[in-house]
Amino acid sequence: MNVLLVEDEAKIASFVQQGLAEQGFIVDHCGHGNEGYELALERDYDVLLLDIMVPGMDGLAILKALRQAGRNLPVILLTARNELDDRLQGLNLGADDYLAKPFYVEELIARIHAVVRRSVGERQNRLSVGPLTLDRITREVTCAGQRMELTTREFNLLEYLMRSPGRVLTRTQILEHVWGYNFNPSTNVVDVAIQRLRKKLDPLGAAQWIESIRGVGYRFRQPEALQ
Amino acid sequence: MTQPSFRRRLAVWTSVLAGGALLGFALLSSWLINQAKVDRLDVQIEAVLIRMGRLHGGRIPPDLATALAREWGAGNNDTVAIRLLDTNGAIVFQSDHWPQTLQPVPRRRPTAAMPEPEPPERLGPLRNRAALVSFSTQRSAVGRWRVGTILLPRGQGSIAVSLATIRQEMATIRRIYLVTIPAALVLIAGGAWGLSGQALRPIQHLHQRVNQVTAQGLDQRVAPRDVDQEFQGLIQSFNAMLERLERSFHQATRFSGDAAHELKTPLAILQGELEQAIQQAETGSTMQQTLNHLLEEVSRLSGIVRKLLLLSLADAGKMALKQDPVNLSELLREQLEDLPLLAPRLKVESKIEHNLVVRCDRDLIIQVIQNLLSNALKYNQPQGWISLQAYRQPQRVILTIANASRTLTLEERTHLFDRFYRGDAAHSRQTDGLGLGLSLSREIARAHGGDLSLDDAPGGQIQFSLWLPHHR
Repeated sequence: MNVLLVEDEAKIASFVQQGLAEQGFIVDHCGHGNEGYELALERDYDVLLLDIMVPGMDGLAILKALRQAGRNLPVILLTARNELDDRLQGLNLGADDYLAKPFYVEELIARIHAVVRRSVGERQNRLSVGPLTLDRITREVTCAGQRMELTTREFNLLEYLMRSPGRVLTRTQILEHVWGYNFNPSTNVVDVAIQRLRKKLDPLGAAQWIESIRGVGYRFRQPEALQ
Repeated sequence: MTQPSFRRRLAVWTSVLAGGALLGFALLSSWLINQAKVDRLDVQIEAVLIRMGRLHGGRIPPDLATALAREWGAGNNDTVAIRLLDTNGAIVFQSDHWPQTLQPVPRRRPTAAMPEPEPPERLGPLRNRAALVSFSTQRSAVGRWRVGTILLPRGQGSIAVSLATIRQEMATIRRIYLVTIPAALVLIAGGAWGLSGQALRPIQHLHQRVNQVTAQGLDQRVAPRDVDQEFQGLIQSFNAMLERLERSFHQATRFSGDAAHELKTPLAILQGELEQAIQQAETGSTMQQTLNHLLEEVSRLSGIVRKLLLLSLADAGKMALKQDPVNLSELLREQLEDLPLLAPRLKVESKIEHNLVVRCDRDLIIQVIQNLLSNALKYNQPQGWISLQAYRQPQRVILTIANASRTLTLEERTHLFDRFYRGDAAHSRQTDGLGLGLSLSREIARAHGGDLSLDDAPGGQIQFSLWLPHHR
C-alpha cells in the first residue's frame, strides 16, 4: 500500500515511516505543504497522511485543493493544534479521519486500514489469522468454521490484537484503543478482558494465541509460530 | 438585615423631607395669618378709639358696638363691647355684654419727664398710635378678647373684640391644611416613586446591556449612545474594564493553548519512539518493562495536556462541537458493559429509558460519561454500589449517576469542580485526584447547552446529574 506522509517534524516522520514500513507500507515523506500537494496530484497513493501545521500550504489547504481537483483518495489528518476546531474543519473539508498528536503508530495503522477499507468496499472487511476469521461488518468471529459469541468489547479487543500479529501491544495502548483514552480506572481491566477472551477461545484451541508479555502487555502470535 | 430598595428609600426620604417642609410652612403661615388678622383688628379698633377720643365729652351712641360688629363683619352683635371710664375709674359708659373679667391695661399715665402725648384731635390716623393705644389679649368666660385701650385727658376708653371669629377662621384654615397637606404628601410620595423609577431606568437599561455583554462574551461592548449623558462615564469605565479583562483573558487562554500545542509535539515524538523501542526490545526484558512504564507516564501526560487544551478552548468559548444526533441509551449501555469487568464486587443498578436521543459531540459526551463512571468506581466503597438513571424530561435528557462513597465535607462539595482539586490529602494518596476530569466534563456539558452538577444526596453517597437538551 502506498502512503504519502506530509509532516515537517523529522522525528515524528521518522518513527511513523518506520512503523508503517514494518507493516509493509511504502511510505513517501515530504516536509513542505506545496511539495506534498504536487506529489499527491502526480502520483497515485492509497492514503494520504496530512499534518495540519506544515510550512507552505497547510494540511487543510492541501485537503481542500485536492478535493476541488476531484481527488477522492482517503485522507487522515494529524494535528497538535486546536483539536476540536481542526477536527470539525477537517471532516467538513472531506477528511476521512482525524488523529490528534500524540498518537500511537499502532493506532495510525488501524485507522489507515479502516479508511482504506471504507474506500475500496467490503473486500477487506474480513481479517484472518490462521483458522481464525473475523468479519468487521457482521461482527462474526469463526474459528475453523465454528462461530464464537463475543461482546462488543471482546470483539474490538480481538480485532485489535489480530490486526498486528507479532507486535507487542502495551496495556495502555490496548486500553486507549478499545476503551477510549479517558477511561482508566486501572489497566487491570485489560487483563480481565483478555482472560475472558482466552476462556472463550479455549474450546477452539486458540487461547494460547494471545501471549502475555510480562510487565508490558500482550501479543497476538501467529498460530504457525507456536508450532 | 437587608437594606430596603434604593428606590423605596428615595421615595420615603423625599416624602419625609417634603412633609416636614409642608408642616413647617403650615405652622408658620397660620401663625402669620393669625397675626395679620389680629393686626388688622388692632388697626380697626384704634381707628374707632381715636374717633371716640374726638367725640369724648359727647355721647356714645348706644348702638355703636352693634354697628361696629356689623361693620367688621363679626357675625354676632355681642362680639364687640365698649367701655368708658373717667379719671377716677368710674364707669361712664359700658356695653351690656362687656365681659366682667376683662381688665383693660391702659398705658401708664405719662410722667412729667415724659411729655404728654399730643391730643388725639391733632393726630393723623396712624401716626404714633402706639403711644396712645395699648392692646392686650385676654381671656374671659366666653373666650378670648382683643382689648384696645386709649388714654384720654379725662379718662380712658376701651373696645373689646371677641377673637372667636378669628379663631373660627383659623380653624377653617387648619382644616384646609389638614386635607391638603396629606393629599400633597401622597402626591409627592407618588411623584418621588415615579421619578426615582425614572432615574433608575438608565441603570436598569445598563444592567440589561451588561448582562447581554457577559452572556455574549467578553468581546462585546456597551454602546455609549444607548445611555444618558450622566452614565457615559460609567459606561466608558465599564468598557475599559472589559477591554483589560478581555486582553488578559485572551493572553491567558492563548498561553495555555500555545503551551498545550508546544507540549504535544515533543510528546508525540516521545510516545512514537517509545512505542517503537518497545517493539525492538527483547520480549519480556527489564528494558521493555521500563520502556512500558515510561510510555504509560507519557500517555498520562498526554491526557493532561489534551484536557488542558480542551479547557482553554472552553474558557475562550471556542469549543467547536461536531454535533450529531446520538442515541444516549445505547451509548450508556455500551459504557456500562465494562462495569462488571472493572469492579466485580460493586452492585450496579441501571434504569435507562429507550431511545434517548441528544444532539451532541459523540466523542466528547463519551468522555463525560467515562469520566463520571470512572469517578464512581474510584471513589466507591468496598462492597459499594453504583446506580445510573437516564430519563426524558420535556426539554431535556437527564442522566444521574450515584454511588456509595464516604460523606463529602462541605468544602469538598464546593471545590469538586475546581481544576486539579485533590480534596482530603489522606484520601487523595490512594487514588488519583479528580484533576481536570470533572471540570472539563462540566465545560463540555455547558458547551452543549446543558450542565453537570453535584446533587444533594444523603450521607454515604454522591450523585451527579448531567442534562443535555433533547434532540427533536
